[in-house]
Amino acid sequence: MAKPRSPSRRAAAAPKSKPANDIPALEWASAAVGLALAATAIGLTTWDAVFGVDGPPAIEVRLKSVSATPHGYVVEVEAFNHGGSPAAQVQIEGVLASEAEPETANATIDYIPEQSGASGGLIFERDPRAHALKLRAKGFADAF
Amino acid sequence: MDANVEYGRALARAAGGALLFSFPLLMTMEMWSLGVTVDRWRLLLFLLLTLPMLVGLSYFAGFEPTFRLKDEVLDALAAFGLGFLLSAALLGVFGVLHGESLGSQGAWGKVSLCAAPAAVGALLAGKQLGERGLGSREKAQAGPLGELFLMAVGAAFLAFNVAPTEEMILIAYQMGPLHTLLLVAASIALLHLFVYRLGFPGEAKRREAGNFMRTFVGFTAPGYGVALLMSLYLLWTFGRTDGVAVHEIATMTVVLGFPAALGAATARLVV
Repeated sequence: MAKPRSPSRRAAAAPKSKPANDIPALEWASAAVGLALAATAIGLTTWDAVFGVDGPPAIEVRLKSVSATPHGYVVEVEAFNHGGSPAAQVQIEGVLASEAEPETANATIDYIPEQSGASGGLIFERDPRAHALKLRAKGFADAF
Repeated sequence: MDANVEYGRALARAAGGALLFSFPLLMTMEMWSLGVTVDRWRLLLFLLLTLPMLVGLSYFAGFEPTFRLKDEVLDALAAFGLGFLLSAALLGVFGVLHGESLGSQGAWGKVSLCAAPAAVGALLAGKQLGERGLGSREKAQAGPLGELFLMAVGAAFLAFNVAPTEEMILIAYQMGPLHTLLLVAASIALLHLFVYRLGFPGEAKRREAGNFMRTFVGFTAPGYGVALLMSLYLLWTFGRTDGVAVHEIATMTVVLGFPAALGAATARLVV
């Protein structure tokens, strides 16, 4: 591999002593791609740092769907963090009111970035569609 | 046209290197969450510091045998771009970017945090997987400041591989003051041995600055200092130092300083 390459490499390297115009088009192109990506990343980060929302996590838990399975009713929920900082280990609780004892189910979501959502599921024995279901986030840890 | 083919080949080699050096990080869970949770100002500073670091590294180990500033900048940008594309592709395949929209902060945060080590890998690979002639000529020219720069890059590069993990914190918690002092001594001793005693290939030109004391004070001590600074900087960037007692930060820095010292010591082998 290296053997046949080295003469051609030397040939390519030799005209480097001439100024400017010996830079291959591909080099310009890949550098341009790199510049565009780096500028986008830096731009987005700057924008977020300067104009991003501040404040603690504000987590809304939304019901996505209810499915009856042989092993209970699965309530799929999405937790959306409207706040300005990420939350870790978010505890989601659903309380199903009913004639008798209210039924409670819990789930923990590892990470919810700010302005983003993450989903999980709660499992109930009774049909959540037949009763009033209250969903909320009970607590979280700071992301670091 | 031939120059394009040649450059394309160098680029492919660089992509291979980026892959080789960055996949451990791309497959580390903490990198994904840190991409989202890292303080945006610190991420910005990190990205802004990466660019000049890449330009400097390109000078010492670029994937094209170049000497001029314009070429170094072009190479550095190409490597950074390669890092971005590679990280995005792999994180995408791993399903890490699942549910993130293209322009979202989360996606860009994860990708750009991984792009930096991948870009360093791309630049290093140009030399490691390619011919060595021109690279070693550059090596000989590195003055004391260049030497320190290379040590810093080596330290940051190796430390970066473990810096995001929980284990750094856990190890720091487990260690008592005696352990810490032992680790400091071991780091310094290894740094000195690796650099000046063991005679790894590629370090033939390494100078012993006279006697032991001068070598130690002139090279090993600054090397360890740079390694500790890099460790502290990475821990700070990842938010590991927030609200932590000073002695605990010191222990963490020493813990991360161990791989950093090894990186600083072997920088000359890799770069």
